[in-house]
Amino acid sequence: MKLNINNISHSYDVEVLHDLKFNLEGYKSIAIIGVSGSGKSTLIRLMSGMEKPTFGNIDINEMNVSSEEYRKKIGFVFQNHNLFPHLSLKRNITLILEKTRNKTKEEAETIALSKLKLLHLSDQVNKLPKNVSGGQAQRASIARALSVDPDIIFLDEPTASLDPILTHEVLTAVEELKGLGKEFIFVTHVLSFVRDFADYVIYMHEGRIHEYGLPSILDSPKTKELKEFMRKVR
Amino acid sequence: MVLNSTSTNKFNNVIWYSLAILTVLGFVIFVVLRQTTDFSFIVYKDYSSLIQTGIINTILISVISLLGSMILGFVFYLLSKSKIKYFNALIDVFTEIIYGTPLLVLIIVMAFLIGPAFNTYERNVMGTIALIIYMSPYMKNVYKSAFSSISEEQYMAMDLFGFTPFQRYRYIIIPQVIRILMPPMMNNFSLIIKGSALLNVLSYTELFYAIRLAQSKTFAFVEGYILMWMLYLIITIPLSQLTKLVERKWSL
Repeated sequence: MKLNINNISHSYDVEVLHDLKFNLEGYKSIAIIGVSGSGKSTLIRLMSGMEKPTFGNIDINEMNVSSEEYRKKIGFVFQNHNLFPHLSLKRNITLILEKTRNKTKEEAETIALSKLKLLHLSDQVNKLPKNVSGGQAQRASIARALSVDPDIIFLDEPTASLDPILTHEVLTAVEELKGLGKEFIFVTHVLSFVRDFADYVIYMHEGRIHEYGLPSILDSPKTKELKEFMRKVR
Repeated sequence: MVLNSTSTNKFNNVIWYSLAILTVLGFVIFVVLRQTTDFSFIVYKDYSSLIQTGIINTILISVISLLGSMILGFVFYLLSKSKIKYFNALIDVFTEIIYGTPLLVLIIVMAFLIGPAFNTYERNVMGTIALIIYMSPYMKNVYKSAFSSISEEQYMAMDLFGFTPFQRYRYIIIPQVIRILMPPMMNNFSLIIKGSALLNVLSYTELFYAIRLAQSKTFAFVEGYILMWMLYLIITIPLSQLTKLVERKWSL
């Protein structure tokens, strides 16, 4: 993945990201960590193109993230599954494929079933999101993100609303996707998952990229903020 | 085990509900027996076709008012969401006035003041319009809560996958909104049915007026009111049961 963050700032009511500059190339799975309010969720949303930065721009794989071309190449997994609640797990996927990716009914059905199978949901395909567990819904949401055949998959704290057992279930499912040749950018609080799955780590602190590098920085942090963070999340 | 306990629960429920119904019936019978005058519904048999007309008209006017207030309520909702501040203010002022107005007053003002001001002496039409106008702010609120129940994140997901505006409404927003709308809509329908009784002041032959007409001939007032009460319950209770069913089946 080639990542170019060019002087972005972002404000809601107050400024949450301050003039970020960051260039990176050659990694496939980037973790963004930090305490709540450090701006990591904002950063991942800006990277996905879902929100536009107040200033500056971001290019990923040499595409501007607000371009239509880029939008077709990404998948996004939200904090709490965010499936459409009135549609079955399968229909959540087929609707998108039929209406926005010009697939026929049969093609959409085949893709949906294969992705749901990949996430071990073959026997839940016709259930509504409210009738499956939080972990199953979140896995369906991952299947939905995969179904559009993205190059990059974003995961914004995919286990934030899950208990430890369901967290494990979801993260294991994500780890199994390693072989698919996709690229990942994710925000998480689960450091064991960062160690297993990421090949690059960005640590955010107070709206800035404070420390970054290979996952080994978690074991020997340089800044006192990351040291403090590592001590607290343990 | 689980199956067993739910079926016992169901059985228990039947017992408790039967007891509750019997209690109410017992109370009614007690009240009826305490009446000193003769008590008989038989006299109303001669007026059954009048009462039938009353029932039909009540249902007819209620359905018309429901549809009318659904449409007007939606217009109100759109105006309250409009970027033009004047419209928002207009709806706010209107809503406040309606909330504070007894339906009876509105019906009379509509039929005897506003109607004639526009050269309309069709009292029944004006009465129905009063009912529609009265319900519209409530309908507006139903739309408001239904639309606001679709989360910001769902809109983000729609953006992300690139649904067109038409597709959003057709496949995602409206199907959800309808499910959320149905139960409060049906509650409002009950309110309309009961509210339509007030149209009797315009001598419109709905159920209330029909019974009163019959009462004036039979002089059996108590029986008439009880009959009226029962007939309203026969219309509204199935409706509210249906509402509960829809609520259970369609909840998201």
